Amino acid sequence: MDARARSVIPASDTVVELAGVRKTFRQRQRADSLSGVFRNMLRPAIREVAALQDVSLRIGRGEIVAYAGPNGAGKSTTVKLLAGMLAPDSGTVRALGMDPMRERVRYVREIGVVFGQRTELWWDHSVATSFEWKRVVWDIPRDRYERMAGFVKELLGLDEFFHSLARDLSLGQRMRADLGLALLHEPQILFLDEPTLGLDVLAKRTTLGFIQDLNRERQVTVMVTSHDMSDLEQLAGRIVMIDRGRIAYDGDFTRLRREFADRRVLIIETGEGLPPKLDGAALVRSEGGRHEYAFDAARVNIAALLAQAAEQAQLLDVETHRAPIDDVIADIYEKWQEKSNVGR
Amino acid sequence: MADRGPLSTLARLFRLWRLYARLDLYFVTRSFRTFVVWYVTDMIFGVSAISGMLLLAERFAGIGVWNKEQGLFLLGYAATVTGLLEIFFGFNVAFISRRLGRGQFDHTLIQPQPVWMALLTEGFTPFAGSATLVPGAALLAWAILHLHRTLSPGWLAMLLVSLVASTAIFLAFQYALGSLAFWAPRAAEEINSSSANLMGQLKAFPLDGLRVLLMGGLLTVLPVGFVAWAPCRYLLGLTPGFRAGFATPLAALLLGALAALLFAKGMSHYGRTGSQRYSSFGHRR
Amino acid sequence: MAAAGQIGESPLFLMDYLLRFLRVALLLSIWRLLFAGRGAVSGMTLPALLTYTLIAEAFAEPLLCRTEIVWAFWDGSIATRFLRPMGLFAQFAADAFGRWSVGFAVFSLPLLLCAPLLGVNPLPASLMAGLLFPVSLALSISVGLAMEFIFMALAVLFEGEIYAISRVRQALVVLLSGAFLPLALMPWGLGKIFDWLPFAAMASAPLRIYTGTGRPAWLLATQLGWTLLLWPLASWLWRISRERMVSYGG
Repeated sequence: MDARARSVIPASDTVVELAGVRKTFRQRQRADSLSGVFRNMLRPAIREVAALQDVSLRIGRGEIVAYAGPNGAGKSTTVKLLAGMLAPDSGTVRALGMDPMRERVRYVREIGVVFGQRTELWWDHSVATSFEWKRVVWDIPRDRYERMAGFVKELLGLDEFFHSLARDLSLGQRMRADLGLALLHEPQILFLDEPTLGLDVLAKRTTLGFIQDLNRERQVTVMVTSHDMSDLEQLAGRIVMIDRGRIAYDGDFTRLRREFADRRVLIIETGEGLPPKLDGAALVRSEGGRHEYAFDAARVNIAALLAQAAEQAQLLDVETHRAPIDDVIADIYEKWQEKSNVGR
Repeated sequence: MADRGPLSTLARLFRLWRLYARLDLYFVTRSFRTFVVWYVTDMIFGVSAISGMLLLAERFAGIGVWNKEQGLFLLGYAATVTGLLEIFFGFNVAFISRRLGRGQFDHTLIQPQPVWMALLTEGFTPFAGSATLVPGAALLAWAILHLHRTLSPGWLAMLLVSLVASTAIFLAFQYALGSLAFWAPRAAEEINSSSANLMGQLKAFPLDGLRVLLMGGLLTVLPVGFVAWAPCRYLLGLTPGFRAGFATPLAALLLGALAALLFAKGMSHYGRTGSQRYSSFGHRR
Repeated sequence: MAAAGQIGESPLFLMDYLLRFLRVALLLSIWRLLFAGRGAVSGMTLPALLTYTLIAEAFAEPLLCRTEIVWAFWDGSIATRFLRPMGLFAQFAADAFGRWSVGFAVFSLPLLLCAPLLGVNPLPASLMAGLLFPVSLALSISVGLAMEFIFMALAVLFEGEIYAISRVRQALVVLLSGAFLPLALMPWGLGKIFDWLPFAAMASAPLRIYTGTGRPAWLLATQLGWTLLLWPLASWLWRISRERMVSYGG
C-alpha cells in the first residue's frame, strides 16, 4: 500500500486551523567593526523578517501532513505557534478547538512535540527515568503509562538502551527515545520538526514506519517538517509547501510533480559512440555507453525521444523513472528564488 | 490538569517534589566517584563561602557593632538562606536568566502545568544541594546555642518564617532582574550570576551605621539587608517590637509581587517574540 | 571578536557592571564601618584597605582569570577548538583578553575615575609601586591562566566533573587569593601561610604591591616562582588528558 492510500484517511473533523496568520520577527543586525557595535547598541539596526504572511491552513483528524519549504520559510514558526510557544501577530490559531497559547496547560496534554535539534530527555539520567518523569508531570495513570511504554518500546526498539543514560545515546537512539517520550500520554496530534535529522537509513525507516503505524492504528494526526523530501513522500499523503511565509502549494505529491515539473529520467544504453542528441532532454551524464537524460514529461513525449535516439544509435536498453522528489523540490525552490530575485 | 482546588494542587506539588528528589538522588548516586566528588566539592564551596566572614569575625572579635556570637548568627543565617535557595531552586531555577537567555524556556512551556508550578518544583535538589546548606545550618545552630537566650516555640517559628521570607526575597530579586532576559536574552543571560554575586558577598555584613540613603537602598531596590541583617536584628532582639518581626515577610510579599509582575510581562513579550537562541547547556543537567 | 561578543545586542550588558559598581561601593562603606576607630591592622590602614578593594574590583577579571574554557568543555565545543591553527592555551587567553578589554573600558576606567567621589585614593602607594604593578599583574595573569588550565585538566581526569571542579576552583580563589578579603586581615597568622600558595600570587601579590602593604621583591619572586612551576605542570596535565578531552566533548 503506498503512502497516499495509507495516510489519506478521510478527515472526519478539523483538528488544526490557522486563519490569516501573520508573524513578523525583528532581528538586530550586527556591525563588523567595534565602533559599529557600540553604535548599534544605542541605535540598533533592525531587520524585519515576515516569517508568516496570511497563512491559512486546515488539517483534518487522522491526516499526515508534510510541511516543507526552504530554510527560513516559516516551518518552525508554524510549529511553535501550534505548540503554544508563540502567539501570532494577527489571525487565529486553533487546534482541537483550543487556543494553544491561552489554553496552554489543557492543550499540551493533547499534543506531542518533537524537535529534531533538541531533546526532552534528562541528560544525566536513563531513558527509563525520563519516561517516569513524563508519567508524573503529565499525570498519566499507571496502567495507561505501562501500556503505552510497552507499545513504544516494542515498536521503536527502545529496550536495548532503555536503561542507558541519555548522554551516552547515539543520535538515532536519542531521536527514537524522544519520539517514544512524546507519545506516552497518547496525544491526538503529533508535531515533528525534523524528526529524521542525522539518522541513518535504518533508523529513518524505523521512525517513519512507526509514525505510519501510529497514524493507522491510533488515528494520530501528524504534522511533520523535514528537508528530506523522499521521507516526506513516503510518509505523507498531503504536502503543504511554504515559501517566504506564504503557502505556495497544498495538495498531494503526484499533483505537485505534475504542476511544477514532471521531471523524468531516461537512461539509454547504446554501446560505443557519442551519446545521441535529444531535443527536449538534457544530458545529465554519459559513461561507457550508458547515457542519462532529464526531461519534463509534461512537455516532451517519451516516445518522441526514443524515436530520436533510435535514429542516431542502436538502442541496447532503455530505462525510465520519475526524478527523485528531492530534485523536483530543488527545482521548485530554485524557481521561487529566481522569482524573488526578479521581484527585487 | 483539571483545576480541583488548593488541596489537589498541594498534593500535586508534593508529588512533583518527590519526583525531583528521586531524580536528584539518582544523579548524586550514579557512581561512587560522582557521589564523593559532588559532596566534597560542594562542602568545600559551602565552607569557603562562610570562612571569609568567620575569619573576619574572629579577627575583629565580632563584625562592626555585633559581637562574635551575634556575627556568627548573622553569618549562619545568611548561609542557611543560600543553602535553602540551592536546595529548592537549584538547577538554574534561581538563575532564571540563564534558562531564558539560552532559549530553554520552551521546555517549560510544553509541560501541562502552570509555569509557576514547574519553577517551584523543578529546582528541588535536596541531595545535591544539601552540601551547601549543611555548613550554614551547622553554624546557625552553633551560634543559637551560644547566644544564651531562651528558645521559645514562638521564637523558633519566627526564625523559620524569617528564613523562608529571606529566601523568597533573594529569589524575587533574582527573578526581577532575570526577567530582563526576556527582552535581551543574549545580553542578560548571565545577569543572575552578577546579582547572586552581589547578594552573596554582602548578605552577611551588618549594615548598622551606614548612611540612611544607602541603607534605604539596601532594604528596597537592592534588598541585601533583608537576606540576613534585618531579620537577624529582630531575632537577636536588636530591633525590638513585635511588628519588626513581620518586616521581612512583608518585604517578601511586596518584592515577590513585583517580581511576579515583571516576569508576567516578560512572558507576554516572550509569547510574541519567542526565542531565536537555543543552547542545551545546563538544561536538565 | 570576543569584545564584540561581550557587548552583545543591548545596553543591558552594562547591568553586570552596574551591579559590580554597587557591590564595591557597599563594600567600601562596610569596610569603613568595620575599621571605624581602629588604626592599622596587620600593617593595613583604612585608606590602604579602601584602595586595595577598589583596585581589586577594577582589575577583578584579570586577577581572577576566568576564561571560556569551562563553557567549552561543558557544551562540547572544545573539540572544534583543536581544528583551529592556534594553540589551545593561546586561543583561550586571547579570547579572555578580548573580554577583559571591554570590562576595562566600560567599568574599570570609569571606576578609577570615580574613586575620589567614593572617598578612595586610586593612585598607587608610590611611583615604584605604580611601576611594579603592571609587572606583577602580568605575572598574576600568567599564574591565573596556568591555574585555570590545571583545574580543567583535572576535571577531565576526573571524568568530566566540570561543574564540581569549577566550584572548587571558585571557592579556593575567593578565600585564598585575597581578591575579596585581604589575606593580611585573617586571624591566627593564616594570611602568612596563604601568602605562599599560588592563589595569593593571582591577586594578593599585585594588590599589595599597588597599596604598598607588602614587600615587592618577595611578592614578585613568589609570583615568578609559581609561574615557572605551574606552566610545565599545566602542559603536562593537558598532554596526558588531551585525548580524553576530545572524547568528552563528543
